[in-house]
Amino acid sequence: MATTVIGPNVGTGVDTGIETGVPGLKPFTPSPAPATVHSYKGGIWSWLATTDHKKIGTLYLFTALFFFLVGGLEAEILRMQLGAPNRHVVSPEMYNQLFTMHGTTMIFLAIMPLSAAFFNFLIPLQIGARDVAFPRLNAFSYWVYLFGGLFISIPILFGHGPDGGWFGYVPLTTRAYSPGINIDFWVLGLQILGISSLAAGFNFITTIINLRAPGMSLMRMPIFTWMSFVTQFLIVLSFPIITIGIFFLLMDRFFGTQFYEPAAGGDPLLYQHLFWLFGHPEVYILVLPAFGLVSEVLPTFSKKPLFGYPVMVYSGILIGFLGFGVWAHHMFAVGMGPVADSVFGVTTMLIAIPTGVKIFNWLGTMAQGQVRFTTACLFAAGFVALFTIGGISGVMHSSPPADLQQTDSYFIVAHFHYVLFGGSIMGIFAGIYYYFPKLFGRMMDEKLGKTHFWLNFVGMNLTFFPMHFSGMYGMPRRVYTYDSGQGWDVFNRMSTWGAYLIGVATLVFVFNFFKSRRMGKPAGPNPWGAGTLEWTIPSPPPPYNFAVLPTVTSRYPLWEGKEADVESARINQQSGKTAEQLGIVLPYDTIKPMFAAFFLVLMFVGLMTNRWLLAGAAGAMTISLYAWLTSPLEPEHH
Amino acid sequence: MIGSPRLRRLIPLGTVAVLALALAACARDYPNTTFVPHSDLGRAIDFLWKRLLLFGTAVFILVEAALIFIIWRYRRRNDDIMPPQTHGNVPLEITWTLIPAVILAFIAVPTVRTIFVTQAKAPAGAMVIEVYGHQWWWEFRYPQYNVVTANEIYIPKGRTVDFVLQTKDVLHSFWIPQLAGKRDLIANHINHIWFTPDAKMATTVWNGFCTEYCGTEHAQMHFRVVTVEPAQFGSWVTHQQAPGFFNASVTPANPPGATPAIVAPTNAPIPEQAGVSAIRMAQPNVTPPPPPATPTVTQAQLASFILPRTSVPAYAIPHTPLPSEISFNDRLVGDATNGEKLFVGAGTCNACHAVAGNALAAGVIGPNLTHVGSRIAIGAGMYVNDAPHLARWIKNARIMKPGNIMPTLGKGQYDPQAKTVTSTGLSDPQIADIVAYLQALR
Repeated sequence: MATTVIGPNVGTGVDTGIETGVPGLKPFTPSPAPATVHSYKGGIWSWLATTDHKKIGTLYLFTALFFFLVGGLEAEILRMQLGAPNRHVVSPEMYNQLFTMHGTTMIFLAIMPLSAAFFNFLIPLQIGARDVAFPRLNAFSYWVYLFGGLFISIPILFGHGPDGGWFGYVPLTTRAYSPGINIDFWVLGLQILGISSLAAGFNFITTIINLRAPGMSLMRMPIFTWMSFVTQFLIVLSFPIITIGIFFLLMDRFFGTQFYEPAAGGDPLLYQHLFWLFGHPEVYILVLPAFGLVSEVLPTFSKKPLFGYPVMVYSGILIGFLGFGVWAHHMFAVGMGPVADSVFGVTTMLIAIPTGVKIFNWLGTMAQGQVRFTTACLFAAGFVALFTIGGISGVMHSSPPADLQQTDSYFIVAHFHYVLFGGSIMGIFAGIYYYFPKLFGRMMDEKLGKTHFWLNFVGMNLTFFPMHFSGMYGMPRRVYTYDSGQGWDVFNRMSTWGAYLIGVATLVFVFNFFKSRRMGKPAGPNPWGAGTLEWTIPSPPPPYNFAVLPTVTSRYPLWEGKEADVESARINQQSGKTAEQLGIVLPYDTIKPMFAAFFLVLMFVGLMTNRWLLAGAAGAMTISLYAWLTSPLEPEHH
Repeated sequence: MIGSPRLRRLIPLGTVAVLALALAACARDYPNTTFVPHSDLGRAIDFLWKRLLLFGTAVFILVEAALIFIIWRYRRRNDDIMPPQTHGNVPLEITWTLIPAVILAFIAVPTVRTIFVTQAKAPAGAMVIEVYGHQWWWEFRYPQYNVVTANEIYIPKGRTVDFVLQTKDVLHSFWIPQLAGKRDLIANHINHIWFTPDAKMATTVWNGFCTEYCGTEHAQMHFRVVTVEPAQFGSWVTHQQAPGFFNASVTPANPPGATPAIVAPTNAPIPEQAGVSAIRMAQPNVTPPPPPATPTVTQAQLASFILPRTSVPAYAIPHTPLPSEISFNDRLVGDATNGEKLFVGAGTCNACHAVAGNALAAGVIGPNLTHVGSRIAIGAGMYVNDAPHLARWIKNARIMKPGNIMPTLGKGQYDPQAKTVTSTGLSDPQIADIVAYLQALR
């Protein structure tokens, strides 16, 4: 028989100890001591100078989780204020900074970089590559994100945080109506973060196109890599639009141009179109990676391949395309006229079709399976349940007249939290619980994990479901307080209790994360009995990932692969050698990308404060870039 | 993990939660609900909403039931069982692509029809109300009646109103949840939203909100809409056209060229009620207002229709507590005549506020105060309009409403924007005089 069917029934995971997932292969037993965490040895220098996609992915993960906690803390204060009518936990000014930064943080500093952590860590492993196409650019992306994130986040600690909303509508954000430095931080910070996202986007597109292992055709690519691929195109196509939209605002604020000056004929709707032409694809940038993660988790724990793989790929691409044709549904109340309203209403409805197909295919994946409800699988199933609700309420405001009652009310807040919390965040948690063993070589605690899930699930619904009611009962968004007797008290109280519950759930997660990283059970290369390429190598993977580059013959090499797949998996799992011993050339560590990123952000600080600082930082960045570009990437090949 | 025992425990729990929510939704009073529309536009929206809710609920139940069934039926039973390695099912996948498409067609067609009906030009006989958004209050003008007011409007039942929306600064959005949807106020654009309030409805007050984030006090930019009988409206208009009631030198109210004020009940057909397709908008009311019964203003008419305080529902009366930082002796009794002098003198109120009939008070920066005494609330719906609130507002408006551009007028008060304590300004007795004057402007 030419094909060795291994099947997903091997490797039953946590309960039975360590499995390799490859027949005839002795279980790879990592010693419980740090020998298993070789990738993460080394002092602080090895992190500052790293060009290893796995370490950069880990940096992204920790930084993004930190910002997730920051954004969560901001949300808790918001909910504390709204827990009862006419409460004054914080001043109106601080409330407005908090809701602006909650949105900005969660979107740009938490969810996107959490996805980026998975892009970094997983894409090379899933396509059988040793690193991304541009390892130093990858490091640069991370450092720009970190410094940019601090740049935009720190001002609120001094009461000068951005306060124009995450959407920053003009003319409120022009100098005339926001004379302080608050909005400056937002305008410049978003430009900085855009540089990071764009650099990473091009990097991953190149990686996926050029660095796939032999036999890894596009239609054999793991679905997470596919959804990431679509996401990168959305990033490189949509970020230039917001860059321009905000660049006009930057010019208006700093150099006295009049792009958005109403008295000079500036049109606030120009900004809104530019913003949402970015802003809507951004929604899919936030949720497609979660789609991908869930599409990895569900097959593994159902012991079945993904149901309708080609349709899942095509619907992802279709969502990406349609995502560029629906932006004006954020603007149904601005008076675009009946034709535009009708067109954007109908295109928005259309996007529900590929999204619905995805939900049904996830159900189809689980149906007839043997679904094992680990924490990761619970989060994935919870994702399907909650994202469905967000999808349905999305169709409710695709109808422009109906949207006139819903828009800018709490109904919208309920909707997009079901999409972004119930969708993106639940999917990302599924991914964290699923890939934690691969990242750190240890299992996460399942008991704590399930506690986290249930607290989070109940808390999430308690927070956001009542918002449907407060919205339809007339409560506007973005209000720092509300009066009693409006019929909103009970729903707001529920939402606030729910938010506290989410807070407790998150603390359980943080505790589990750090405890398991130190003391979790050693995982072995394939603790879940999964079928894709990343599970054919040790956990955590060695710096070179694959001792021999695999030859791929199917979508799930460990489940349905031929002899070649099995053979390379066997070698890769057992390899304990170093890169030098194997003769594998790896890029040098270098700190130059970090310096370039630091001086780039310092330039923006200089733009706000002191032109000499601006000039000095520009010079230093040029020198850093020159040093970076003139030094070799890796040792010469022999 | 989701074994059937746990599932069985969860089902009643979930049912109780949903029932509790539904009960909460029925038992309480929801003064700003969008579920009980009182206009043709509101009903056209509600018709679509009900359809969306029906399909949405059906899809929700279907998908979640399927998910729960699959979770229960296909949970792991035995590690040795190898499930069938299906890769997909093309007919099935085509089916669940087409069914949503058909459902969406049932939503899209009435949606597009409703868009074109509701966004047509307002009918010719409509009453025009110009709405100007300010940070953070509303200016209303009735060009057909030469009436200017702030944060409070009266509209006659059964007559189409065309709101012409503009902004004086940043973006705002105009929303009266019980009557219609929202429409934004956008610089360099003139937007419209028009509807016909039901002819048969309560004479009462509706809350209106700003729903586009507009800066510090976006949360405190409310307005009140009073729906009244047409005859009451005519009487109200006459009253509004007159100068402030306090002013001794009452001049004839109707400026030359102003449209006659009295509006008789119209003969316009009552807008569709339940049972008739809600998608059609009411026929425009083109009946011209009949000539006024009495063209000159009499004293009796000056005292005419204002919704009595006792008829104002509790939800329209603000409950915002007074900031404790401002102290004021509420036992002071003011002198309105002296208050009028202070209004244009030491108080410099006239720099920003207009009072028709007082030639010295013609400011345009703040709300028109001609009939401020008759209004329900001050500060754009933030505080109830009575002497203690008015006094503290005048004394330190920037603590009363942070971000406010109205200066801190009381002497020795901390100005949170300038971050200084005022060295000049009004004494408490002077403020009491101004309060007396403003309260007399009914």
